[in-house]
Amino acid sequence: MSDELMTAAASAAEPAEGLRAVRALRALADRLEALHVERARRLGWSWQQVADALGVSRQAVHKKYGKRVG
Amino acid sequence: MFEKFAKDARESVVGAQEEARALGADRIGTEHVLLGMLRTPDSVAAQALERLGVTHGDVFAAVRALPPGAIDADALAGVGIDLEAVRAQVEASFGPGALDTPLPRSRAGHLPFEPSAKKLLEIALREAIRFKHRRIDTGHLLLAVARLDDSTAYGALSSLGVGPAAAREAVTAVWADVPVG
Repeated sequence: MSDELMTAAASAAEPAEGLRAVRALRALADRLEALHVERARRLGWSWQQVADALGVSRQAVHKKYGKRVG
Repeated sequence: MFEKFAKDARESVVGAQEEARALGADRIGTEHVLLGMLRTPDSVAAQALERLGVTHGDVFAAVRALPPGAIDADALAGVGIDLEAVRAQVEASFGPGALDTPLPRSRAGHLPFEPSAKKLLEIALREAIRFKHRRIDTGHLLLAVARLDDSTAYGALSSLGVGPAAAREAVTAVWADVPVG
């Protein structure tokens, strides 16, 4: 394979690699969020406090975790 | 696209919802659609897998045995994150296996389809077109699983010793016995 072809192949693969990394980061962030939200609630944090710390609305965080961690 | 779905294929998509809930998932993946196909023993997919000695119970157990939505360590390494180091930190704080606990289920209402499950339905449609069949039945859905080699459904079948070629042959054999719409 010529150098040009190899470069072309590498750049074609880049979005796939990048997007895969983003997906993995999101999965990791989701897990970490669930763990910390659960702990915060157990320590008596209000939904508002959790939401403020995450920078989202109280409704959003309650909708996502309300059932699981009361 | 759903108007092209035969009764058994429609039921399996609806059943996938319940299968996902039964497994504590918050999204419908290819594995749940596969389980949905096997709910009715007379569906084309159920008959095909029966020929290969695989039941709904077998697939359910195989899916449950798969690692729960493992985080892609290679992809994270590509952006300079060592998942094992993160895991060690998290486990020190939250206990062993903390990073592998399933995510919270979404509340009442329909679970969304994962992109891979949507792709499965699209490929099933293409299979129907390829065979010049007017309707998509669970046979086409199973053929689609056999094509999606990076899907969880494919992995579950592989772990039961069912490869793509065997699955394709079994579907064709069932179609040879029953008329296809």
